[in-house]
Amino acid sequence: MYKVSLLTRDGATIAFDAEPSDTLLDAAERASIYLPSSCREGGCGACRVARASGEVELMSYSSAALSEDERMAGDILLCRAQARSDLALHAPFDEAAVGFAPVPERRATLVALEPVASGTLRLQLQYDDDQTFGRAAQFTAGQFIELTLPDGSAKRSYSLANAPNWDGTLELFIRLQPHGAFSDYLRDRAAVGDTLLVRGPQGQFTLDESSASPRWFVVGGTGLAPALSMLRQMAEFADQRACRLIFGVNKIDELFALDALDALKAALPQFVATICVWKPEQEWRGFVGTPVEALAQALSTAPERPDIYVCGPPALIAATEEAGRAAGVPHDRIFSEKFTAA
Amino acid sequence: MFCYQCEQTYRSEEGDGCAGAKGMCGKDATTADLQDILLYVCEGLGQYLQRARQFGAADIEADRFILFAFFTTLTNVNFNAAKFVELIQQASQIRDRAKALYEDAARAAGKTPETLSGPAAFAPASNMAGLSAQASEAAVRKDAAILGEDAVGARALILYGLKGVCAYAHHARVLGEERDAIYTTVEHALDMLAREERDVATLLDEALALGRANFLAMEALDAANTGAFGTPTPTSVRVTPIKGKAILVSGHDLKDLHAILEATKDKGINVYTHGEMLPAHSYPKLKAYPHLAGNYGGAWQDQQKEFAEFPGPIVMTSNCLIEPQPRYRGRIFTAGPVGWAGVRHIADENFAVVAQAAQALPGFTEDAPAETITIGFGRDAVLGVADKVIDAVKSGAIRHFFLVGGCDGAAPGRNYYSDFADEAPKDTVILTLGCGKYRFNKHDFGTIGGLPRLLDMGQCNDAYSALVVATKLAEAFGVGVNELPLSLIVSWFEQKAAAVLLTLLALGVRNVRLGPTLPAFLTPALVAVLVEKFGVQPVGDAKADIAASLARAA
Repeated sequence: MYKVSLLTRDGATIAFDAEPSDTLLDAAERASIYLPSSCREGGCGACRVARASGEVELMSYSSAALSEDERMAGDILLCRAQARSDLALHAPFDEAAVGFAPVPERRATLVALEPVASGTLRLQLQYDDDQTFGRAAQFTAGQFIELTLPDGSAKRSYSLANAPNWDGTLELFIRLQPHGAFSDYLRDRAAVGDTLLVRGPQGQFTLDESSASPRWFVVGGTGLAPALSMLRQMAEFADQRACRLIFGVNKIDELFALDALDALKAALPQFVATICVWKPEQEWRGFVGTPVEALAQALSTAPERPDIYVCGPPALIAATEEAGRAAGVPHDRIFSEKFTAA
Repeated sequence: MFCYQCEQTYRSEEGDGCAGAKGMCGKDATTADLQDILLYVCEGLGQYLQRARQFGAADIEADRFILFAFFTTLTNVNFNAAKFVELIQQASQIRDRAKALYEDAARAAGKTPETLSGPAAFAPASNMAGLSAQASEAAVRKDAAILGEDAVGARALILYGLKGVCAYAHHARVLGEERDAIYTTVEHALDMLAREERDVATLLDEALALGRANFLAMEALDAANTGAFGTPTPTSVRVTPIKGKAILVSGHDLKDLHAILEATKDKGINVYTHGEMLPAHSYPKLKAYPHLAGNYGGAWQDQQKEFAEFPGPIVMTSNCLIEPQPRYRGRIFTAGPVGWAGVRHIADENFAVVAQAAQALPGFTEDAPAETITIGFGRDAVLGVADKVIDAVKSGAIRHFFLVGGCDGAAPGRNYYSDFADEAPKDTVILTLGCGKYRFNKHDFGTIGGLPRLLDMGQCNDAYSALVVATKLAEAFGVGVNELPLSLIVSWFEQKAAAVLLTLLALGVRNVRLGPTLPAFLTPALVAVLVEKFGVQPVGDAKADIAASLARAA
């Protein structure tokens, strides 16, 4: 048994014991400490922390979740690491992101399913009334949920696109993958009235409320979802600060949720949206290029360094971090959520 | 940031006060700095308003703004930096208006208006970065080297006393009770702060003037509360939950509670009071709502655990808010002067969304065993049995009264107050007000001649009620208040309590025991004045203090 001490970004110390046969994530959960995580199999990087001292053994993981450089620098994945000594860890998240109760599991009914763009579906779910949780959809804007198919055969995580609400509504935008288990279900069998198991909310890709800086969101494809959620929350709170969305797709017919963006423009006086199409197949009056190119251009004339929230494939995140760095945005002011095809 | 306005401020050998990235209350340095700037601009506003008054011109909207602005800066009220950027711009515009008012009034009277400097001429930046850079110009201890420590401390006593006066006056105002004399005193005090008065005696006189204004504010609030909701009567209050959907209402604002009761009428939602909202159950027009179900939890410092366990929405109508934890951040609402970045705020007194939240959340799934306490011994209830009380004192059945009033807090030294109540001899009566009572209000104190030994008089502002009772009893006995067999044991935490203390001093009430610690902003010389002139004593050991109080009375 080893002692693990985890220091959160806001300076709280969380301590638990770990058996060498447990992953650190499991060891924490035995102590009723639910650390941020998502796939739990070394694929997403949601549970990455820095190791200040001590030894671990890492089971297999994806280099998209933990690069060789990061590992060399001492980073580990809590879902893949087993303690081999006492450990001191530094987390990139605040204590608020740590759950001290299990992630809720609730049932929800599929109430709408519609194509909104080439290869992209909009799903609307309604939480069933529940003795423990009621019917409210309580989460922090930007968080995700994990859905399990009615037959229990597949699980996938998706960011919520709507703001927290009392009606119990969950809105998702899902990009269909050619041979994804969940995509196959949505394409072939899903029907309004289906019941899905929802595990969530989870994740710490949420607004840094302590910061007063402008907020910029850089998103690719369905990475728009968490940004929409955060922007909608800001609209509900009548947030007066400057905010900007840079939303990129490859082709015009992949664009979606433009009506939601128009609604945000009406609600947020300082909101600017840049829609980027990388390879427009017809005339496109918006930005032609990648969202990172649009970001670099906007940063070059920005009066104030923004906080940057980026969601999309790993390459978009890496490029955004690079563009941010080049423009002098401190690394800890760039918040990211990776998603991988599934 | 530098702030030492509350009891829990950071204390060390090097000097007391919160000066790091975050205060002990959880307020970050940016917000604390912005609050200093807001109050500094309000001082400038006071400079103009005070001068305009001399020509018979007033701007009551500006006075009302000052009340609200000061209220937002009390401990545990508003932590939302963005809100202060907005309030500072508003304050600056209102100050421009007051300047024009003053200058026009002066010219109309054939005088040349003064060109004012200091806060009147301070130009606040328009954004957070610019304002943060100006923080040192508005800091509480700016010019300490010139003014001297005693003057700085006495100025702090005025500034924090002002906060308490403004908070009570704001509470009264939302229910339609205002007093011009409060506004003129507030303006006068702001002008004194603005002109950097450094004569300690003058400053202490001003603090006492604020104490008198605070008596008026508490009287106005008493009139507002009883006018709107009737006179408190002894009432049994359930302190355990009952099955069903639930809303928890905290803070002091009875008007907000009333609006919530209206918004949830006939919806199968139970409304619970928290903390200082407990006395609401004793007001006839509030307890007439059958869904005002009970009181939940203890004093404010336990809220992070208790709110997390409450199965419905929570509304903070005034202080004391502490950082909302993730487990309930999505279902806590702020109202009035309260705020926290990323927490829903209800600015228009429309609580429909709270009712909606209550229905969407699980509520209590079963009845807890019934448990009740009795509250509601305001001035009318106590004076209604004055004959009994006087007879009991004359016969010796009641040897002494202890008024144990004020705030609670997390500090370990606060067990003094529960020790005090528990150790008080059986032939003494304990009167309570404020949230300090939560440490012992569920204990069984028994009765004397049919009168409960523990009589709760209400919220902290019901110190007014206690003073009325003391004055009436003193009249009945033909003695002064200080000759009554009555001792005041005051626990302070924030600035409302500071204002109440100033009221007690201004009214000549002596021998107040104050704790758990003395304010960090009072220098030894200022403490010496309080001790010498007013007999203020720091709390010591509960048993010894009880014995000393009884010996004094004997």
